[in-house]
Amino acid sequence: MNYNQSHQQQPQQSGEGRHDDDAAVTEFLASLLEYTPTIPDELVEHYLGKSGFQCPDVRLIRLVAVATQKFVAEVASDALQHCKARQASIVKDKGNKQQKDKRLILTMDDLSKALREYGVNVKHQEYYVDSPSTGLDPTTREE
Amino acid sequence: MNNGGGANTHPDNEHASTNKPADDGFGLAVARVAVAQICESVGFGGSRGSTLDSLADIAVRYIRDIGMASRFYSNLAGRCQCNVFDIIRTLEDLGNFQGFSCASAVRNCIAGSGTMKDIMEHVEMAEEIPFAHTLPWFPIARERRPIPSFDRLGEIPPGNHIPSWLPALPDPHTYKRTLVWNERKPDPRAEKLEQVKQRRKAERALLNLQQRMAIYGQGGASASSYVPNVDVKGTQFMVKEGSVKFAPPLQMGEEDVSVLNVPDVLADRLTTENHGSIMEAFVSAIDAMRDQFSDDANEDEVGRSKVLPDRRHSVRFKFKMSKKVLGHSLDLDIRNRIIGKHFSVIEREEERDDKKRRAACILKQSMENPEELTQL
Repeated sequence: MNYNQSHQQQPQQSGEGRHDDDAAVTEFLASLLEYTPTIPDELVEHYLGKSGFQCPDVRLIRLVAVATQKFVAEVASDALQHCKARQASIVKDKGNKQQKDKRLILTMDDLSKALREYGVNVKHQEYYVDSPSTGLDPTTREE
Repeated sequence: MNNGGGANTHPDNEHASTNKPADDGFGLAVARVAVAQICESVGFGGSRGSTLDSLADIAVRYIRDIGMASRFYSNLAGRCQCNVFDIIRTLEDLGNFQGFSCASAVRNCIAGSGTMKDIMEHVEMAEEIPFAHTLPWFPIARERRPIPSFDRLGEIPPGNHIPSWLPALPDPHTYKRTLVWNERKPDPRAEKLEQVKQRRKAERALLNLQQRMAIYGQGGASASSYVPNVDVKGTQFMVKEGSVKFAPPLQMGEEDVSVLNVPDVLADRLTTENHGSIMEAFVSAIDAMRDQFSDDANEDEVGRSKVLPDRRHSVRFKFKMSKKVLGHSLDLDIRNRIIGKHFSVIEREEERDDKKRRAACILKQSMENPEELTQL
């Protein structure tokens, strides 16, 4: 009997957990209707249609848009970290004379470093092939 | 570091990227804008054009990957439409590189996966930046007009083997050379009338011109006002003589005419026949031209323009209204002068009479002709 009772209790708990998760997701999807992601719905639906994704539900489209936005934001923030790190190293070399208050520019170097962690290999084409430092890692080159 | 603007400002590009026309150009352009907005929200002040293009391309690929994987999962489950669980599995797959929380935990419900929690957290944390532009639904499907069927056109298909609901065959003129029909009916009488009418108009215009020439000859001093670019010498000449019928303009670059001695012959004619007819005007013109050219031959002895200042050589009338032309036309005579025949002074007078006679004949013809024309 004890065994039966304990056995009965477990499904209830998992059922409640499931219910919580479900409720959370349902709530989240409902809130997505009010939230406007940066990536527009038309664009997402166009590309999802190209790959065979069929769903008339707007919430799912918004979910995909939000997921993509999260992905891009993560990549961009990683690139920003790389950019800041590089600038910090420069400032350290030159001393604290100048504060780098300039706008941070997203460059190909930072982006390729950030994307490497996501499994995307992006390499910028070199302009001049005849210099000896061609093809070397940018960090080893002098800025 | 952050730009002051919100969703409406775009980060400036250091490099102007070259827009390569691609099949998917519009979608990539839109993705570029969206990605730029995200970068701006993260904290970047600007970006290189090529970098932005790469990031937009990667975002588009990500969307397509989600679509493909979701479709795969839904098909695996025996469905053709995707649902939220397919998407969550897809996101777990794509996020495997970094990992997500509770990845190793055994769950009974996929809705509790770490991926969803991450996304929910992201939505709560990040500020909402809507897309900067309004987009139409794309791609826009072009409406195609189908070829109408035999039934629609009311045609009977050629042959029993062709059902009538099929699209109609093209017209024979599209693949064969067919006769060209001249829509306009030929009407010779109307055409001839039209032709005659146009000829009459031309003749009337000529007549008007002749009459105007006559007026010039008649007007004398008053006519000089109509004549353009009259030199001072011309006016002096006019004042001197008083009854000059013809007031020709001086050509540009004319030499100084010191003394304008009107030869007696010309002066006589001018004074006697006061009611200037066209004939007089023409004859004097011809004389002046002839004198001028004969003077050209003896340039050393005589001055250039002895009698009268240069006249316009362009006045030439062809009296060829009807087929019958008596004698030479004045035109021919003037041309002969230009070639440069010499005439002695004695011969001049005789020929002058001849010219006079001929001009009179031709003019008479022209006067008669309008009557003929009206009879037409």
